[in-house]
Amino acid sequence: MKIALCSSFVPFVNGGYRNIVEWLETMLLEAGHEVERIYLPEADSPDILFRQMAAFRFVDLDAADRIICFRPQSHLIRHPHKIVWFIHHLRAFYDLWDNPDYRGFPDDARHRGIRTALRAADTAALREARRVFSNSRVVSQRLATYNGIDSEPLFPPVLRPERFRFRGMNDEIVCICRLEHHKRQHLLVEALKYCQSDVRLRLCGLSAGTGYSAAVAQWAHDWGVSDRLTIDERWISEDEKAELLADCLAAAYLPLDEDSYGYPTIEAAHAGKPVLTASDAGGVLEFVTDGTNGLVADPDARSVAQAMDRLFEHREATRQLGEAAAARIGEMNIAWPHVLERLLA
Amino acid sequence: MKVLVVNNMAPFVRGGAEALAEHLIRNLEIAGHQAELLRVPFQWEPATRIPSQMLMARALELQNVDHVIALKFPAYLIQHPRKTLWLVHQYRQAYDLYDAGQTNLPPGQTGADIRQLIRNADDECFRDARRIFAISDVTQQRLARYNGVHADILRAPINDPERFTGGEPQGYIFAGGRINGAKRQCLLVEALADAAKEVRLIVGGPPDTANDARQLEETVERLGLRDRVRLDLRYLERHEYANYINGALAVASLPFDEESFSYVAMEAATAGKALLSTTDSGGVLGLAKDGETGWVAEPTAEALAAAMSAAYVDLARTRALGVSAKNLWESHQINWQATVAALMS
Repeated sequence: MKIALCSSFVPFVNGGYRNIVEWLETMLLEAGHEVERIYLPEADSPDILFRQMAAFRFVDLDAADRIICFRPQSHLIRHPHKIVWFIHHLRAFYDLWDNPDYRGFPDDARHRGIRTALRAADTAALREARRVFSNSRVVSQRLATYNGIDSEPLFPPVLRPERFRFRGMNDEIVCICRLEHHKRQHLLVEALKYCQSDVRLRLCGLSAGTGYSAAVAQWAHDWGVSDRLTIDERWISEDEKAELLADCLAAAYLPLDEDSYGYPTIEAAHAGKPVLTASDAGGVLEFVTDGTNGLVADPDARSVAQAMDRLFEHREATRQLGEAAAARIGEMNIAWPHVLERLLA
Repeated sequence: MKVLVVNNMAPFVRGGAEALAEHLIRNLEIAGHQAELLRVPFQWEPATRIPSQMLMARALELQNVDHVIALKFPAYLIQHPRKTLWLVHQYRQAYDLYDAGQTNLPPGQTGADIRQLIRNADDECFRDARRIFAISDVTQQRLARYNGVHADILRAPINDPERFTGGEPQGYIFAGGRINGAKRQCLLVEALADAAKEVRLIVGGPPDTANDARQLEETVERLGLRDRVRLDLRYLERHEYANYINGALAVASLPFDEESFSYVAMEAATAGKALLSTTDSGGVLGLAKDGETGWVAEPTAEALAAAMSAAYVDLARTRALGVSAKNLWESHQINWQATVAALMS
């Protein structure tokens, strides 16, 4: 089958939003399909939003037998056999509208007008699709609430999960994801201040700007925790990631109200390591249950510190949480054969 | 600098410019830049959809990009304050092919309007570009003639010059590259029948069609040349191709009215091999000079037979012609380092 994978991108910014597309591409190619990957740029500023949405409408992919659309606004692309694997809305116009920090523009008549028009356009484009999948229950709920669209959660697996394995448990909690404010590495760094144990922390990831990573380093210095902290500010290779996860104590992933469980969560689980997250982390909580296959702290430094100490001090319990996390992957059917079967049905 | 290379893509069809874009990216990275590729989908059929696809390219918004290098229509219409064009070609069906009556634009006013639209958009784009380079003389001349724009010529460098080290001649003339009527490998075989008995020929490369291969095989049979010709009609791995070049006494390249120097001639000159070409081979004659770097014959079997025989008469002279070819090629300074420097200037 000729399959076009369509998504939007910000040049030079990596992240899970590319992995879901490129890993699916690899799996489809291995299954013998012809695959074309189309990334079109998209900037979220309200004033230029509709011009860009028009551009997506003009994309001609009639040469494909079906298209699969991911990041917004790629679902606007027209095709007689359109499948959408929806990973998030333009959230400032949806669930984050009431959060002025993330909205970034005033709640006035003009922007409410843009919001109404955007939601109508999204709903119309999603109705064109043969099937709509989401990457989590919370995203499916949003599609139902805001767009009146039924969707099936289809949990994205990682590529070649057998790369991840358990080798041992050292004293380090690792956090491997983009270094950004909404991923809240600063909570972990601040928590070190309150930790009673000798637990260590490692942050690996890259920032789109320079502000946040510099601030985290400065706080670490100010709080006097630099000796228990390693910041590796780069996009580490998949091999390096597998090595770190094989040996670490546990993983941490505390995004604010994330759309899905996030690759960091299941990468850790494949390595038999539990994830420490926060009670407001959104989709991560679809995977992690506190005290069963990970720990869920309150989103404040003291609570996070307690959880870090607990992982360090009760190593056998930590080991068991990790084993339960690995088992959770099967329970949720996070696997490529299932994904391919659903997307190609 | 963050450099975005912008190219077209015809979904599920791989074109020559795609390899060029990939090598450009690799060499931008070697020069210390961050480089990424944006492939803008383009279907030129039906032609009535060309305007909406032009609009699409214009409406896309680039963020987090310092410099753009755009290669083809309509991808190069994308807006960016710092955009350099490296024109492979324009949309020829609105220019020289339109004049020649070989356009896919619809007849009558509709076609004339689309043509005018393309020209207006091109004119505006060329006016706003930071710099414009043409990949060949023909592209440069077309641009001057139709759009009144001067472009410096920046030819595509060869991608793996380190392979073409030269070597002891093994007594054969090599004709490499794609096999088809315009490249005239058949004529070379016919000439061999009239050439001196010691002349040997190797033809190596992928036939465009089964008919191209059959025609060549039948000519060899008909003239009874099986013991003097080796036909290696398939896609050659780069090392296989380089071995043929490096072991040749001379290298033949006689395409009809070629736009560029042709990769075969450039690679042969890099290896210090004398060149054999014909008076109507266009761009190849920039490197193949009769009596200086090789032989330029009339495009007849008789004249080519004399040239092929001459290569075997005085091996020291043939070798000297090869050295001259190498010197002439190197005097053009066509390499990736200089190319990247020009495109970033």
